[in-house]
This record gives sequence, C-alpha cells and structure tokens, in this order.
Amino acid sequence: MRRIFAVALGILTAIGGFVDIGDLVTNAIVGSRFGLGLAWVVLVGVVGICVYAQMSGRVAAVSGRATFEIIRERLGPRAGLANLGASFLINLLTVTAEIGGVALSLQLATSVDPLLWVPVAAFGVWIVIWRARFKLLENVTGLLGLTLIVFAVALFMLSPDWGSLAGQALQPGPPADEQMSTYWFYAIALFGAAMTPYEVFFFSSGAIEEKWTEKDLATSRANVLVGFPLGGVLSIAIAGCAAVVLLPASIDVTSLSQVVLPVAEAGGKLALSFAIVGILAATFGAALETTLSSGYTLAQYFGWSWGKFRRPAKAARFHLAMIICIFVAMAILATGVDPILVTEYSVVFSAVALPLTYLPILIIANDREYMGDKVNGRAMNLIGSVYLVVILVAAIAAIPLLIVTGAGS
Amino acid sequence: MILSDLLGSEVVDAAGHHLGALIDVRLEISGAPHQLLAETVVVGILVSPHSRTSTWGFERRGANAPAIIARPQHWLHRGMFLIAWTDVAQIDEGRVTLRDGYERRDPVLASTAHPH
Repeated sequence: MRRIFAVALGILTAIGGFVDIGDLVTNAIVGSRFGLGLAWVVLVGVVGICVYAQMSGRVAAVSGRATFEIIRERLGPRAGLANLGASFLINLLTVTAEIGGVALSLQLATSVDPLLWVPVAAFGVWIVIWRARFKLLENVTGLLGLTLIVFAVALFMLSPDWGSLAGQALQPGPPADEQMSTYWFYAIALFGAAMTPYEVFFFSSGAIEEKWTEKDLATSRANVLVGFPLGGVLSIAIAGCAAVVLLPASIDVTSLSQVVLPVAEAGGKLALSFAIVGILAATFGAALETTLSSGYTLAQYFGWSWGKFRRPAKAARFHLAMIICIFVAMAILATGVDPILVTEYSVVFSAVALPLTYLPILIIANDREYMGDKVNGRAMNLIGSVYLVVILVAAIAAIPLLIVTGAGS
Repeated sequence: MILSDLLGSEVVDAAGHHLGALIDVRLEISGAPHQLLAETVVVGILVSPHSRTSTWGFERRGANAPAIIARPQHWLHRGMFLIAWTDVAQIDEGRVTLRDGYERRDPVLASTAHPH
C-alpha cells in the first residue's frame, strides 16, 4: 500500500512539476498564433524528456553519481568547465524567468506591481531551500501545481469545435499569415520548454538526495512515464485554450493575464483562482528546482559537499552559491526587464544547451563500468540516438532562427 | 608535473617525426600498498595520430554503444596506440619524445569490471 501511495504521489508531483513558466508562456503564445499546429512538438518533447530523465535517473541510482560529476570525469576538466559555464548561465536565466513568473502570478492575484513582488518571491525561494525538507518542497508544489488541470477543464467548458482543433493538430504547418521560419522558431522554443535541462539536473540530483538504489528504479520509471506525458497533456490544454479564445480574437500573449484569459472566460473567477494557484505553485516549484539545480551543478563540478540532506552548515558553499544566484536573478529583474521576455529567451537557450548534458548521460548510460548490467538496451539506444540527432539539430538551428525571426516577432 | 601538462602534447619519435597527440595517460593502482589504496603507477601514454580530443571512454574493449557516438569516436581515434612509460625518452613543454625502438602496443583497455 505504501508503495502504491509512493508511486501515485510521484506521478502527481511529476505532472505538476512538468509545467513551469516556460511551458505556460510558450504554449499560450504558440496556441494564440498557431492554434494546435505545434502540438506535435509537445509530444516530441515529452517523449524526449522521458528518455532523458529515465537514463539520468538510472545513472544516478546505479552509479550514485549526479550529472556534473560524470560530465567532469568523462569530458575532462576543461571541456567540463566550458560545459558547466554554458549550462549554468542558461539555468540562471531560467531561475530569473521562474522568480519573475512567481512575481507575475502574485500580481495576477493582487494587482500589485510585479517588481514589488520580486524580493518577496526571491526571499520565499531562499527560505524554503534553506529550511524545508527535499520531499516536502517537491511534493507540496507538485500537488498544488495540479490545479493547472483547470486549463483542461476550461477547454471542455469552452465547447470548442473539436474537429477544427484536431485538424490543426493533425495538419501541422504555419497559418497563412505566419512565416515558416517563425513556425520552426516556436517549434524549437516549445521543444526547449518541454525538455529543459534543469529538469534533469534536478531529477538526477534528487535521486541522490533521496538515496535511490536500483530497487527504486521501477518507481522512478513509473513517475516519469506516466507523470511527464500527463504534464504534456496539460501543456497542450494550455495551447488549446489559447487556440480557442486568443487566436480568433488576434490577442497577443504579452503577460500572464492573457495566458489565463480563456480560463476566466470559461469558468469565471472560481476557475481563475484555481489557475492562479496552479501557476503560482508551478512557477514557485520550478524556481526552487532551478535554484537547487544551479547549486547542484556548481557543487558537483567543483567537488563541494552538496545536498538538502546535509544541514546548510555542512554544505556551506552549495547554499552560498544558491543565495548568490537568487541575488543575481533579483538584480536582473530589478532592471525592469519583462519576465515574459526572459522566459522566451530562456526556453530557446535551453534548447541550445541541451546537447551539452544529454550527450554525456547517453555515453555513461552505456558504460558497463558504471552501470553493470543496467546499461541501455538496444531499443533505448535506438531512441536515445534518434533524440541525440533531434537535440543537435534543434540546438544548431535555434540561434540562427532566433536572429532571422527577430525572436519570433 | 600534473596530468594537464601532458594532455594534448605532440608526440614525436627519436628522430623528431610527428606521431600524434598524447590524449590520455594510463594508470595502474599497483604501487606500494598504503592503508586504503596502493600508489598509482603510470603504465603508459595513449597516442592518437588524427585527433587531440578525448576518447570519452570509448577506448575500452566492448565500448561500442550507442553506435551513433561510438563509430565516429573510433574513426576519430583510428590508429591509436599505447606507448609504455619506459619508452618515453624526454618530456618538454607540449612535446613528448619517444626512445629509439619504441613499441606500439594495443591501446584497447580490457574492461575488468562486471564480467559477463
């Protein structure tokens, strides 16, 4: 019974944990401009994150080593440092986007300027990381994030023309008034939003925080293979809501109020409050995960003691690094930069950084000295190789498309 | 001297002919025994004629999956060989000179962990 409960809880937190500010904003933008014409990308991204998380979870559980320990060991200190630099900076951009997202969702609830909420959000993230236990912070935000199901409910309440939505999803391609390059730019942004690298740093470091062994692999596989696809369904529901309400009215998504507009239209204030709680939980949860990830990556590369399972005094550099990251994110937001814009850039750069961590994990998942008989099987290697190509193509195409399309404008 | 001083050095024979780049150093834990681990002994250096990049661990026997990474890796390091440390004559900055009559040994590391 306890086991079933553990699996159920894991799945629920994976659903809530899948969606973050990147998914919310990118799916709403894409829905408002392309309808469900990019829904296939969410599918590709979800399968990709399942493959990636499954491999890195297995590597962490069997070898007891987290992602950046392995990257340094296998790539050597210099290539490892370049890798760390790129991954860390992009993760820092994501931290900024998530803390900005927390401030924006608090603005939705209170109408107080988000700039005033930024210090509150940052303090909240810090105090929870400093004080709360790992399991607690993961489960509470994940479960509250489930209220985002209101987007799926809203989609039904809007009683859309399902035939035309299915038509958009099954006949991918840009509408007449959109460029092909813009379509592919958003395809990469959506892919980067679904397959954010921090999810994997967090997942594999979490495996070590929770002292996983080979016995826990079945539970982790269930969490990933059920939780993430359901999270993907939520993503598509967000895009679907935007496709039904925002696309016909030509409303651009420039803030969170447009993201939740279809929910308010469908279910009024009650539905809206569910959506706000969900967005707050999802962004706050992701702010915790990304901040922890920045500490994890630095500490694992430099060999500092790390982990929430240690008291902060026993992992001082790990905690100090996270405090500095939170301050940097606050400083960036204090310039008045639009958090939605930061989010849009962060998902694109996530796609750029993805090969840096995906490749070493794929290599180690095949290494018998680490993995014994738990190495990748043939099927896993086939799909892992296909995704290596997809990830490389997305990473290489991302920046040229960013420039050509003027960030999708 | 530390390992980073050696990695990437050009390897030449006694007459100064270019042989390749030093891409790794092979170690063996077989020196004087201590409380926990024996001392590490340098067995030899890995020389790759065509590339200065790391082998990412693909120099070991049986390391050929996934093919999409293993194949290009093996191609990049084709003709790689191991030189015994005793065949190294001189080490200068960025340049390793071998003794006359050095022997090119099999570079493949027999994987000892988890025999199947």
